[in-house]
Amino acid sequence: MMARRNWLTFVLLGGVIVLVAVAAELVGDRLLLRITTNLCISMVLVIGLQIFMGNSGILSFAHVGFMGVGAYTSAVLTIPVQMKGMALPNLYPFLADVQMLPVVGMALGGLTAALVAALAVYPLMRLSDAAAVITSFALFVVLHTIMYHWSDVTNGPRTLFGIPGGTTLPLAAGVAIAAVLAALLFKESRVGRLLRASRDDEIAAASLGAHIPRLRWQAFIVSALLAGIGGALWGHFITSFSPKQLWLKETFVILAMLVIGGPRTVTGAVVGVLIVTASFESLRSLEGAINRADILSEPLVGMTELTLAVAMIAVLALRPGGICPSREVGYYLFRRRARGP
Amino acid sequence: MAPLEAASVTVEFAGLRALDDVSLTLGPGEILGLIGPNGSGKTTLVNAMTGQVPVAGGTISLGDAVLTGRTPREIAHAGVSRTFQIGRHFDNLTILENVATAALGKGAPVRVALERATALIEEFGLGRRLDDLAEVLSYGEKRRVEIARALAGEPHYLLLDEPAAGMNEEETESLIEILAMLPKDRGLGLLIIDHDMGLIMRLCERLHVLASGRTIAEGDRRTVRDDPAVIEAYLGSGSGDA
Ligand SMILES: Nc1ncnc2c1ncn2[C@@H]1O[C@H](COP(=O)(O)OP(=O)(O)OP(=O)(O)O)[C@@H](O)[C@H]1O
Ligand SMILES: [Mg+2]
Repeated sequence: MMARRNWLTFVLLGGVIVLVAVAAELVGDRLLLRITTNLCISMVLVIGLQIFMGNSGILSFAHVGFMGVGAYTSAVLTIPVQMKGMALPNLYPFLADVQMLPVVGMALGGLTAALVAALAVYPLMRLSDAAAVITSFALFVVLHTIMYHWSDVTNGPRTLFGIPGGTTLPLAAGVAIAAVLAALLFKESRVGRLLRASRDDEIAAASLGAHIPRLRWQAFIVSALLAGIGGALWGHFITSFSPKQLWLKETFVILAMLVIGGPRTVTGAVVGVLIVTASFESLRSLEGAINRADILSEPLVGMTELTLAVAMIAVLALRPGGICPSREVGYYLFRRRARGP
Repeated sequence: MAPLEAASVTVEFAGLRALDDVSLTLGPGEILGLIGPNGSGKTTLVNAMTGQVPVAGGTISLGDAVLTGRTPREIAHAGVSRTFQIGRHFDNLTILENVATAALGKGAPVRVALERATALIEEFGLGRRLDDLAEVLSYGEKRRVEIARALAGEPHYLLLDEPAAGMNEEETESLIEILAMLPKDRGLGLLIIDHDMGLIMRLCERLHVLASGRTIAEGDRRTVRDDPAVIEAYLGSGSGDA
């Protein structure tokens, strides 16, 4: 059970997502709908990362690896049987005849990512600080390499196509709202509370009886579940992708969103996604407009990435906890109401 | 409840013998003062008893259960809790969350942990600050939060490393009142390290004195206080506040 002000946080954050989605639907512009759907998918991924990173205080680079596990699992389970001969000619027979609905594939994509996490990461959870970050990167490399070379299932480095669409804006927004709720519930759970204590002081938390590796492991599994679902949503949104799209650029964007918003709070995750998406998209269209107008002799490239990188550095330097460092939005409103006349 | 016992404990740090054959027993419902000049090994003894540093020799036990070589987490679950001389708080958590952590660590469900923590925080006079982040507290308040937090785990034994350090007189006074009640109220065995001899003499019936990692005196507070070896150790080290 959550305290009342956490429900208020949920209503506010969920409300923002609903508002953005409804506004996009009402305007009905196709580009806007795509951007908003993408925003909701990012929300799922970033909130998933928040569950592990925000509560444990350990930066994980492996998140996009688990996003890939979800994306490929769902793709393999949902590509129409008659397409599979072309898209994945060497697929194992027991998978070749499978054709599930995208939403079923998404759920199984999330569960597979969670299962892989549950089986693979426990030994890493004993590590802290730099060692933990570096090993998470090594895990990312392992997952990426498997996707890159397991051609029978992933089509290797080549683009995997034929994935059915199925990610609509209402679906993506619904999953994003569910992710917000999951993250808030997790944060207030016994595991989440103990994990946050260990984030602030590992020695003190252990001396109070917290089993830190197990707590981290539990958070990582939930985090991978959301990464997998987010990855599957993404796969059914763009309908063809290759491992190159699940590598450092994607990792950087997701990390930047969380770090800028504030990893310790769910509010921070949501705010980070909104701010980064909004500035990213406006910069991208500005970049496009400049290039179309032929003002410069060479086309302008990389402005969005550069801006994001600078923004991330600025936030880390000036406000290390991000825009929303330690309190959820519900706290401020509830306090004001409680003190009201 | 069986006594908490350290028998012939030796601890070494890269050749430095921080504790040399030290034995100490803490019974239920008793308050024991652990004193000695700076660097004499008091904190190291508490670290050894709670699994924070490995022992090179000797045994630590709680009744029949051997605690030597067990992790701090296991020792917490066995019922031994501690506070830290340097103060260790969860800065980004509220006071309520800080204190509730110990109950959660021992396996209490969230609701129970929060209720227990709320009651303890009120008892320690911080009821109005329940919802403040730990990082904004004053030094003395942080100390109180840390003691309340240790108690929320409902330990059988509590080892306090300089609980009054940095407190003003008023805070020390209310701390003494609270600590004095603990053994009676909860059957708790309390070990207190402090350089404030006034506090030690008021709270502890029995004292244990370390100097350079060895026991130089132990027993009834009056006998210990007048022991020439103790006077010598304190005067020799030039520790003015003792
Ligand atoms: N982790 C460590 N590594 C190396 N040496 C240590 C370590 N911890 C303590 N020591 C050394 O062990 C000796 C005893 O230190 P300890 O902290 O136990 O003293 P203390 O009695 O608590 O002193 P104080 O009253 O200043 O707190 C000191 O010489 C100290 O430098
Ligand atoms: Mg000390």
